[in-house]
Amino acid sequence: MKKIKFMSTVLLPLATAVALSACGGNNTSNGSSASSNTGGSASPDAKVTVSITSWRAEASEQEFYKQLQAELNKTAPEIVIDYQPVKATEYNTSLNVALSTDTAADIIHLRPYAAGTAIADAGYLEPIDDLKGLDVFTPEQLKAAQGSDGKQYGVPYMLSSTQILYNKDIFAKYNLQEPKTWDEFIKLADTLKSNNVTPLAFGSKEGWVLSLMHGAIAPQFYGHDFVDKFLKGEAKLNSPEYISSIQALKSLQPYFPANFEGLSMEDIRTIFATGQAGMVIDGHFEIASIQALNPEIKIGAFAVPPVKEGDEPSVSTWVDGSFAINKNSKNKEAARKVLEFMTTKEYGSMILGSTKSPSPIPGVSTDDELVNAISDLASQYGQPYFAVTNLNSGNPTTKSTLETDLQGMFLDAMTPEQVAADVQKSADTWFK
Amino acid sequence: MGSFWNTRATHLVCEVNNVEDTPTAGTPPRNGTWKKHLIHLFPVPAILFYTLFIVYPIFAAFTYSLFEWKGLVMGRFNNFDNFIRLFTQEPYHTMFWRALRHNLYYFVVEMVVQNGIAFGLAYLIFRKIKGASFFKVAYFLPRLLSVIIVGFLWKLILNPNMGILNAALRKIGLESFTTAWLGNPDTALTAVVLINSWFAIGFYMLILLAGLQSIPEEVMEAARLDGATGFRLIRSVVLPMMFQPMVIVIVMTFIQSFEAFELVFAMQGSTGEPFYSTDLLAVFFYRTAFGGNSGDTGSLGIGSALAVVLFAIIAIISAVFMKYVNHKETA
Repeated sequence: MKKIKFMSTVLLPLATAVALSACGGNNTSNGSSASSNTGGSASPDAKVTVSITSWRAEASEQEFYKQLQAELNKTAPEIVIDYQPVKATEYNTSLNVALSTDTAADIIHLRPYAAGTAIADAGYLEPIDDLKGLDVFTPEQLKAAQGSDGKQYGVPYMLSSTQILYNKDIFAKYNLQEPKTWDEFIKLADTLKSNNVTPLAFGSKEGWVLSLMHGAIAPQFYGHDFVDKFLKGEAKLNSPEYISSIQALKSLQPYFPANFEGLSMEDIRTIFATGQAGMVIDGHFEIASIQALNPEIKIGAFAVPPVKEGDEPSVSTWVDGSFAINKNSKNKEAARKVLEFMTTKEYGSMILGSTKSPSPIPGVSTDDELVNAISDLASQYGQPYFAVTNLNSGNPTTKSTLETDLQGMFLDAMTPEQVAADVQKSADTWFK
Repeated sequence: MGSFWNTRATHLVCEVNNVEDTPTAGTPPRNGTWKKHLIHLFPVPAILFYTLFIVYPIFAAFTYSLFEWKGLVMGRFNNFDNFIRLFTQEPYHTMFWRALRHNLYYFVVEMVVQNGIAFGLAYLIFRKIKGASFFKVAYFLPRLLSVIIVGFLWKLILNPNMGILNAALRKIGLESFTTAWLGNPDTALTAVVLINSWFAIGFYMLILLAGLQSIPEEVMEAARLDGATGFRLIRSVVLPMMFQPMVIVIVMTFIQSFEAFELVFAMQGSTGEPFYSTDLLAVFFYRTAFGGNSGDTGSLGIGSALAVVLFAIIAIISAVFMKYVNHKETA
């Protein structure tokens, strides 16, 4: 007990003091999480050290940077990469402290869209509009790392995508085919249900899962031009087409597992991995975890089928971070070389191969059939994951308002119309 | 995590705890004046420590609450704007009152269930039922677990799909009672409060047991000779003699219910899922100050304002209560 008391009397305020004092604008203490590396010109064989900071701290990621070092040195032998990862949940805070105390790394892993824009707007980043190789990306992808001034600040490095994953064995058992239309998809779900297989692994306990899954199917209901119309101010979130996208998610409720209100992503993963459910609307990034739970599972993927026959199917994609140069870096030239390398096919193949993630760089491939299939779907039918690409502003953000509201909808506390009205109200606080 | 109010409040309790132990001012040592003054140096490290880690954060939070914040950068002074926004602007306004209601519910359930059971257990052990010392340890055991582990364990037990609670209900034919315990807004808050009670019961039992054991044996003896047994003994003798420890228990329960954070955060995330049904003031504070989920950047100004309000609630109510108690004690 004494120990617990001690913890609460001493350590908590200590933590508060440290956390809060680090926030002060005029604080000059050096953030221990990241320090700029100025080694380079001093070393005799003219090696230049470039530090990179990121929220990806897994062992596999450290390994990836060793590979990157080897590949990079084929064209730029003088560069030494110093990888400085920070725990994901502490990354934003530690980066903010490091930037405001001028101790940040040379190359900074930017969170996508609004969060990255905020850092660019605060003047911490070097514009890279003239960087060689940037033209391999689409304008949509480049938007993930631009400032409000329209200048480019980061190189997009990984695409995330949401699509429908299915259990190939279950599909084979009931003789089911990948659906070509939404109606076929619903029929398929009915077939599974009548055979006592949960059609869709789903759970509404965690909000982020809801916006993820809504984001995946929504473009088929609000139309491929809705995001543009919204940005131009011609459509709103309480417009009928957006409401119908929310209704579509609600209409899938009969196909969810029992007590889905209490299921989190962990449970969704388990239900799908153990063959209790035939399909799941999910991000590519869950595949590795699903396979870890059941290495035997054979997973297939298809795009969200169109409501109207003949329309294009869709998968929702977004850039999951990008790399930018610290404005106060002392090794800008070398950092630019690293960023240039990040636009090459070699780099794209490394991302695809080692992180199993689609790369925004076209024409790269791996020997993993599923990853290739998803990568193809993403480049062929990609639609922006609207909530991340455009609704991630406000406090709380419109995205997190959507998430809790959808949760409310599945608890019968809100109707789709009320959800739409509420998210528009949230957008009104910041969207001009 | 800024929970300075936690410490302040705990400190209040400690002060109360020590009221009777406070020695009357001793006579200063007489040999030499320098030695006489030396005694004033002894509290210096403690005062420094206290100032740095308790007074400063409270003061800092109050200062922060008066400024505008852009992310983690302090902006211009904006008076009581953060407080006004907290109480008038959506969604803060709704979130505040809802969270406050949840904290009150938390307190009431803990008082009735947790402290009721804790007293019952303490009394049984006090009356030396068979295996008393075994039960004493057994009931205290959950307290040794980390809150995160407690949350994880109960999440497994209450999991609607694989959890043993629903499985057990199905086994005994109560299928219709199965539900998504932590995903159903009707059960989620109660579930979390009861789990916290399960976790904390042993601790309160020990405090109450200590109180019971401090009742002079002669008093109990005399009551028994007068023929008081069972409930009569508890109501007329035990409870009145337990005034002091029970006050401590009530104040500590109050503080515990108003600073409750870890368990909800571990089990229901930073938004008090589902649909804010388990949202508590401290969780609301965390979400507001440091940014909750999905890229919320957080707003340190409003967060600090909320922290100040929460500190005020705990400090004022605890102080008023203590004052009343002291008054009653001396009366």
